[in-house]
Amino acid sequence: MGRLIAVIERDLRKFQRNPVVAAMSVLMPILYLVILGNSFQGKLKDLPIVVIDHDSGPYSRRVIENLRAIESGQKIFSIVYLKDQKMALDGVKNGLYKAAVIIPHDFSKRVSIKKVPEIGLFVDNTDGISSEAIRNSIEGAIRSLRQEHVSIREKQDEIYLRGIDLYAKVDYYQSLVPGVVIMAIFLGTLTTGVFNLVMDRFLGMDESYLLTPLSKSHIVGGLIISGLSITTIIAALVLTVSMLITGIPLSKGFEQCAAIFLVVTLTTLSLLSLMFVILGRVNHPRIVGILSGFLNVILFFPSGAVYPIASFPDWLKAFAKVNPEAYAVDALKAILFKGANILTILEDIAFLFIFTFAMTTIAIITFKRTL
Amino acid sequence: MQKSNAIEVNNITKKFGAVTAVDSVSFNVSEGEFFGFLGPNGAGKTTLIRMLTTLLKPTSGSAIVACCDVARQPDAVRREIGVVPQAMTSDLDLTGYENMDIYGRFYGIPMKERKERINYLLEMVGLTNRANDLVATYSGGMRRRLEIARVLVHRPRMLFLDEPTIGLDPQSRHVVWNFLMKLRDGDSITIFLTTHYMEEAEALCERIAIIDSGRIIAIGSPDELKSQIPGKDIITLAIGNLSENITNAIKGLPFVHKINIENNNVRIYVDSGAHNLPALIDAVRSEGGNVASATIHEQSLEDVFIHYTGKTIREEEAKKVSFLTGAGVPLKWGR
Repeated sequence: MGRLIAVIERDLRKFQRNPVVAAMSVLMPILYLVILGNSFQGKLKDLPIVVIDHDSGPYSRRVIENLRAIESGQKIFSIVYLKDQKMALDGVKNGLYKAAVIIPHDFSKRVSIKKVPEIGLFVDNTDGISSEAIRNSIEGAIRSLRQEHVSIREKQDEIYLRGIDLYAKVDYYQSLVPGVVIMAIFLGTLTTGVFNLVMDRFLGMDESYLLTPLSKSHIVGGLIISGLSITTIIAALVLTVSMLITGIPLSKGFEQCAAIFLVVTLTTLSLLSLMFVILGRVNHPRIVGILSGFLNVILFFPSGAVYPIASFPDWLKAFAKVNPEAYAVDALKAILFKGANILTILEDIAFLFIFTFAMTTIAIITFKRTL
Repeated sequence: MQKSNAIEVNNITKKFGAVTAVDSVSFNVSEGEFFGFLGPNGAGKTTLIRMLTTLLKPTSGSAIVACCDVARQPDAVRREIGVVPQAMTSDLDLTGYENMDIYGRFYGIPMKERKERINYLLEMVGLTNRANDLVATYSGGMRRRLEIARVLVHRPRMLFLDEPTIGLDPQSRHVVWNFLMKLRDGDSITIFLTTHYMEEAEALCERIAIIDSGRIIAIGSPDELKSQIPGKDIITLAIGNLSENITNAIKGLPFVHKINIENNNVRIYVDSGAHNLPALIDAVRSEGGNVASATIHEQSLEDVFIHYTGKTIREEEAKKVSFLTGAGVPLKWGR
């Protein structure tokens, strides 16, 4: 036991003497929240579109009014008005606008004589996300116009949906918080634990403790525990700051706090032991650098932190089934947004526990006690 | 009384792929002896010390160190030995005291004993007033002294040092030497040292094995090794117009034991060098030889190395460095 504590203390002291590393470990995930939250904002906003009204009749004005309502309400797009159709289409082709809406000169006439009125919509379909959103909202604007001119009696079969939210509203920013905490844990586990072994090996310092009677479990266990203490503190700081920034209420009951602590601890252990299995024999920090980007993508994006796992193709769903970050995100979302306690997230906790146990065992077995 | 063996090595061999780094080496070291391994860089010294200290598994052969077989009971061996590897291994982000304390805890030494032992050792290596400074602020020599002190915390029966003074300035080197001499004279510890510095081996070691290309080429006390070379002194003559007649004339002199020719330099192993030098020069001149310079020196281990291998240690090293640079490795990497 004393030996294990000595391994842990050595690592913690070294970390403590590098305050820049500690500060960066907290700051990076929070910056990540700010940047991801703003670059990838759930709903689209301010897409430039151009409108050409060749008609200037009563119905074309109604269409434009509806578009303006969207422009000032949902703010999906901002409208530029032009007279020159060629200029407008060139603008779309050059990327100046995302779409051009062209109302032909006989539009109002065709509406009044009910002769299939048409509006031209030219979209830059190379940008799939924007073009889809513009198409949908412009269709909506036109649909409402159509409804006004259709008698109510014909609409009896229309079904209206009434949305009922089961939980308090979660905005996009807030929904990123579990992912950001997981990201903090990922970064923490990558720069502590096995990374210190890789650095020692790179600098030839590992000899100093390989020559002592420390066992494999002392070395692997000690580095994992020191990594755990550092990473849980970082994760707690990141969680608190992220909750403050996004306005998630901090007042959680004891059960929720205990559940959060357990999930963070088990997630950290899962990732630390996984890193040990992957990087346990690496001897150059550059390899860690190359792998970190890769591991982050393959663990984080299929975790459900930014996109629902249900929408993944089957093979990626299968991967999410063994991805510890997916269980961690699921558990944290349940606790933060649905008020879940330990019992309701038992499945996630059981998986993380088994995963940690399996990975730590493999890490100790595969750890090389010689050079 | 016959001393028991602290190290028994039997035909130990280490291969890395096709390269044989240590080739069937056997030797014994007695309890309490200061034993040195001398050879150029790349001779296999570090590989050998790593096998003896459980860091590398031998490809074949065996070694018993302190008590046990290094391959079968590495843990038991580790408890009995202290090792100062060639690379500096103290933690820069910890203080000198912390480095020693954590190391002592790796061995499970109780706190009170540990504290006393660390303070004693820090005093011994002259680092008491720097004990609470970060190692990052130490000079190379101080760091090396700390590392030697550190591996003595658990009172090992044997101390292994791999090139302990490499990269140190002459002053720091002497400080380390003095400490090792104190250790040799004061304690009953067995010390095993590798070096490529002749003077280091000569100053410190009671017995030396000379190693080249993974094989032991000679073993014995410095005096024994030197006595194996014929003649007590070596005269080196630079002769511009060296010819076979001249070398034959030299070989014919009664006090000449052996000669080696490198370019225009003739190394002549003689008795009573100072006394016989005039006669030697006369003999060269009588054959029309033009002596540009003459030096006399007493035999050293360098001469032993030359005697057995026909080349100097420095030549061996130069070859290795040029091989490295030739392979596209930056020069700074080839020590």
